[in-house]
Order: sequence, then C-alpha cells, then structure tokens
Amino acid sequence: MRVLVVEDDEGIAEGLRANLRQQGAAVDVAGSMTAAWAALRTEPFDVMLLDLGLPDADGSELLRRVRGSPVPGLPDPSMPVLIMTARDEVASRIAGLDMGADDYVVKPFDAGELAARIRALRRRSSGRANATFRCGEIDIDPIHRTVSRGGAAIDLSAREFAVLLTLVEARPRVLSRAQIEAKLYNFDQVLDSNAIEVHVHHLRRKLGEGVIRTMRGVGYFVPADTPA
Amino acid sequence: MRRRTLLGHLLAWVLGALAVVWVGFVAIGLTTGVHEADELTDGHLASTASLLLSQRTNEFVGARGTAPPLPDLKRHDYQQSMSVVVWDGSGHLLSRTGDAPEPPFDSSEGFATLELGSPPQAWRTFARWDSPAHGRRLMVLLSVDERDDLAWDIAGQVAEPGLWLLPVVAIALGLAIRRGLRPLGRLSSDVAALNIHAGEPLQVDHRHEEFRAVVESINALIVRYQAAMARERQLASELAHELRTPLASLALHAQSLQGTLSDGERQQALARIADDSLRAGQVLQHLLTLARASHAELTEAATSFDVVPMAARVLADYAQSSLDGRHELALLGASELVVTGHELLLELALRNLIENALGHAPPGSVVEVTVDRDEAWLQVTNVHDDDARIHRNGASVSRLGLGLGHRVVEKVAAIHGATFAEVPCGNALRCYRITFGRADGLASSP
Repeated sequence: MRVLVVEDDEGIAEGLRANLRQQGAAVDVAGSMTAAWAALRTEPFDVMLLDLGLPDADGSELLRRVRGSPVPGLPDPSMPVLIMTARDEVASRIAGLDMGADDYVVKPFDAGELAARIRALRRRSSGRANATFRCGEIDIDPIHRTVSRGGAAIDLSAREFAVLLTLVEARPRVLSRAQIEAKLYNFDQVLDSNAIEVHVHHLRRKLGEGVIRTMRGVGYFVPADTPA
Repeated sequence: MRRRTLLGHLLAWVLGALAVVWVGFVAIGLTTGVHEADELTDGHLASTASLLLSQRTNEFVGARGTAPPLPDLKRHDYQQSMSVVVWDGSGHLLSRTGDAPEPPFDSSEGFATLELGSPPQAWRTFARWDSPAHGRRLMVLLSVDERDDLAWDIAGQVAEPGLWLLPVVAIALGLAIRRGLRPLGRLSSDVAALNIHAGEPLQVDHRHEEFRAVVESINALIVRYQAAMARERQLASELAHELRTPLASLALHAQSLQGTLSDGERQQALARIADDSLRAGQVLQHLLTLARASHAELTEAATSFDVVPMAARVLADYAQSSLDGRHELALLGASELVVTGHELLLELALRNLIENALGHAPPGSVVEVTVDRDEAWLQVTNVHDDDARIHRNGASVSRLGLGLGHRVVEKVAAIHGATFAEVPCGNALRCYRITFGRADGLASSP
C-alpha cells in the first residue's frame, strides 16, 4: 500500500511514517501543497492523508485539484483521501467531507484507529465489505497481517505479505513488476532489480503454485475465486 | 415572580393623575358653589330687604305676631324660604314672616350669621333701618342649612359630569396608551426574539426617533459580540491546533516505539517525543498566560508602573540564554515610560516577544527592546530569518507557536488599552510594537 502523507509538521509526519511503515505501507511525506502535487503527478498512491493547514495553501485546495484531475492520469481522482486536522468543529468536518474527503480524523488520533480507517477506505474504494480476503483455501487478514490455509498459519515476511496483499486487492487484474514496486516502495527506497521476482518465488513456495499466476511479458495476478 | 408591565404602570399613573385632577375639580366646584351660594344668598337677602323697605310703612302695622305660612307656595327648586322681621325704632316687633325664630333686636345693620332657636340653628341675616331717622328696622333671614344645600347642589352640578366622564376617559386613555405603546412592544418582542448568535441585526423598521439610539446600540453590541465571538473562535481554533499538533506527534511516536524500529529510528522517535513535550509545554504556558490575563482583567486593579525597569529586569533574565544562542540583547530609548495596567501581564507579553525573537533570530544577531516615551510604545526588534531551522534548548520553536505567542501579546495589549502590531523597520528586521493608548485610562509619563 502506498500512502502519501501531506503534513507540514515534521513530528507528525515522521510519526505517521514510522507507524504506517510498521503496518507494511510505503509512505511518502510532502510538507507543502507544491511538493504533494508533484508527488501525486509522479506516482499513484492508494491513500492520501491530508492536513488542511499547509504553509503554501489550504489543504482543501489540493483536495479540489485531485478530485478535478482528468481520468485516466495522475493523480487518480478517485484516490481515497483522509483529512487530518486539529479543527474539531462539526462545521469543519462537514466542510471537509463535502469537499470530497472520504474520512476525517481530529488530532491527536490513535495510530491503530488511523490504520483501521485507512483499511476501511481501501475496502470501500475496491467495493468490498469484508475485512479479510479468501483465495481458495487461503485466508488473508490485512488487520493482523496473517495468512492461513485451513486454519494453519503460514509464515510470511512483511514484504512477502505486502506483495500478496497488493495482488489480492487488485485481483483479477494483472500488475506489472513496476506497478507492484510503486505500491510497495516509497521514493527514498533503493530496489534490487529482481526483488519482486524473489518475493513471488517465496510466496509460491509457501502458498502453492496456483495462487499467484504469471502472464508472461505482462506481470503477475491472482485469479478470482470460482463461486462455489 | 410575575413582572409588572409598562402598560399597567403607565395606566396606573395616568388614571391616578386623572383621579387627582378630578378630585381637585370637585373641591374647586364645591368651594365655588359655597362661595357663590353665599354671594347669591346675601344678594337675595339685601334685595328682599330693599324691596320690603320701599313698601309703605303702614303695611306692617297690625301684623304683629307670627303669620302662619301659606301652604304650597314653593314653585321652584331654588326658591328659598326666607323670613322677614320688622321692628320700630324702639325695638317693638311690627311684623314677622317665615319660619325663622325671632331674633333679638339691636341697632346694627348689615349681614350676620346668628344662632337662633332651640336647639340653636344658624341663620343668615341682613338687617337695615328704613332711614337715618331709624323709624323701622327690617331683618331678612335665611337658614344657613338651606344656603348650604344650594352650595352643594351647585358643587354637585359641577362635579357630576366629571364623575360620569372619569371611567370613559380612563378607558379611552387606556386604549390610547396601549396603542401608543405598540411600537415599544414591537421593539421589545424583536429584542426578545433576537438571535445574537446568528449575528442578525435588529430590524430597522423601528422608525421612531426615541428608538434610534436603542436600535443602533443593540446592533452595535451585536456586531461587537460577533467580532468577539469570532476572535474567541479563532483563538480557540489556534489553541486547539497548537496543542493538538504536538500531542498528535507525541502519540504517534509513542505508538511507533511499541512496534519494530531500528536503533536510529528509536532514538529519533525519542528525541521527537522530547521536542514535542517541550512544545506542548510551551503551548500550555501560553494558555496559562491567557487565563491569567483574563483573570487579571476581571479581578485585579490596574496600577501605575515604569516600563523601562521592568524591561531591563526581563532582559537580564535572558542574559545566559542569549549568550548560549550567540545573541546580543539591548535596551534602548527612553529612561522612563509610566503606564497604568498590570505589570506582571506586560512582563509576560515582553517575555513572549523576546523568546520569539531569540528563537527566530539567527546566531550573532541583536535583539533590541526599545521604549519611546513621546509616542508611548514598547518595541522588540530582531533580525528575522524565516528559512532558518530554529533550535533553542533542544526544542524547535514552531511557526504556529509564534502566532499563538503573538495572540497572547495581543490579549495583554488589549487589556492595557494598547495595540500590538508588526511595524515596518527595514528589510532584515522585524519590529513588534505595543503602542499604549492614552485615552483608555492609560496614563503615560509626562
């Protein structure tokens, strides 16, 4: 999951980065609207956490620009946006949601609650109601970051889990290696050229060959479950 | 408790005044009636006496004794029962007519009120001699009771219309007052229905001149209330932002410490927690200052004090920290500026400005406190570097923290009837000035 944190307060931004990383997200921080817009025009993000009080503009202006973006293109106008603000008046919340935000949290907030809200936003944006995924006999729990087959836990590394979750969330779409990398790594991280192949190889070994499929020359995908 | 209405109050006063006036009229009517009845009676007595004396003398001869009254002689309500007594010059009764008891003889002439009969009864009399030779003496008498009946009858005639008119006038006055007070009632209803929280002004259709000042004052108060509320909301919003930002950062870093972090990340999170704690403490200090300012404004009496020694004392407290930050502090300008207010609050405001200046000025720069007695201001000047990353005592001074600090100074300045503003003083300088107003009870030194 790729998250853009638009927050000018260094303390909060770093705190969010640390917490969301622990949740397996790739986090980029922008301290101004200009920096945020540049990032949004460069890479796709799954969620944007937006502070309204930015030094160069009000955060609502960035939200308006995102929602008004052309389709297809970057940024994605349907990207879930969660507003983080110290303004707790009901009128501010209503205004924020009416501007096109998907959710609203008031500072200070609990990191666990924020992660849950982000997961809910992602579920809503993908049209799902359940918090967990099921691929054949395999159950994937994004909340507890666990994978099991027939009740037996399967031990995955954080990065392997992130690759699996990315493919499962996108199923049955095929994701290229670059697309998977874009969702798993932020701007600052340096990647090995075959890192994704290695993770997929390990996943197939632990989950079985049929879970992750390859479309030669295009990328990887998880097929949709056949209705029972 | 049910409150009295202005309508009832006015009605009571008007009807009370009306009753007093009416009673006055009755009293005057009665007095006039008695007086006029006296005059009429006396005139009547004199006329009768003149008429009888002009008759021939021998008509009285042989008529001695009391002639019995003829029945059914009364033909008019105001017809009076007069009695006539005639004596000769030596006091022998020649004639006596009417109900009056016989009066004693004497030689006097003119009007008199005599007590005659048993039991004694008052009679009004007029006596006269027929000629200077005193051949006959004639006296005409009229019962005083009969005269008083006439007086009361006249008074009654005067007062009676007023008695009938009083309730009619009262009802008419009541209706007129009720109708006349309708604009006041409408104003009262409008004021009662006023929603000052919505900022709606009082409608301007209260066109009576007497209401103009009231309506304008109420609308001015609404505007001031709205402005004050807006300031309070803005201040509350800023305070919330200022306090919640470090708290949010604190919570996030504390929670990140519960997860997996590298040693470097752990040290960084701990350092950030320390920074944020200090930052939250600074915000709380501002909050306490604002609370103290409000308390002082409400409860403490203003006193006169000299700003200059106070500024010198405050600057001296920052000697070591300025040295540590490689700043230079200076106090310039007047040697005295006496103002009336709360010295402790002004000291807190000055500390705020100096701390902000030290926090934002690059090392090696000068922070000056200047006092001007002629224009009555106190100013803090510093070389300001907006782009510099500011660190003082290990804690960063936030951009927003500066705004809250200035809010505190604004509040303190307002309490002193002063204004606080940044004034232009050169490209590389920032000057924050508190200008004391002379009109609002603030006494500057001569």
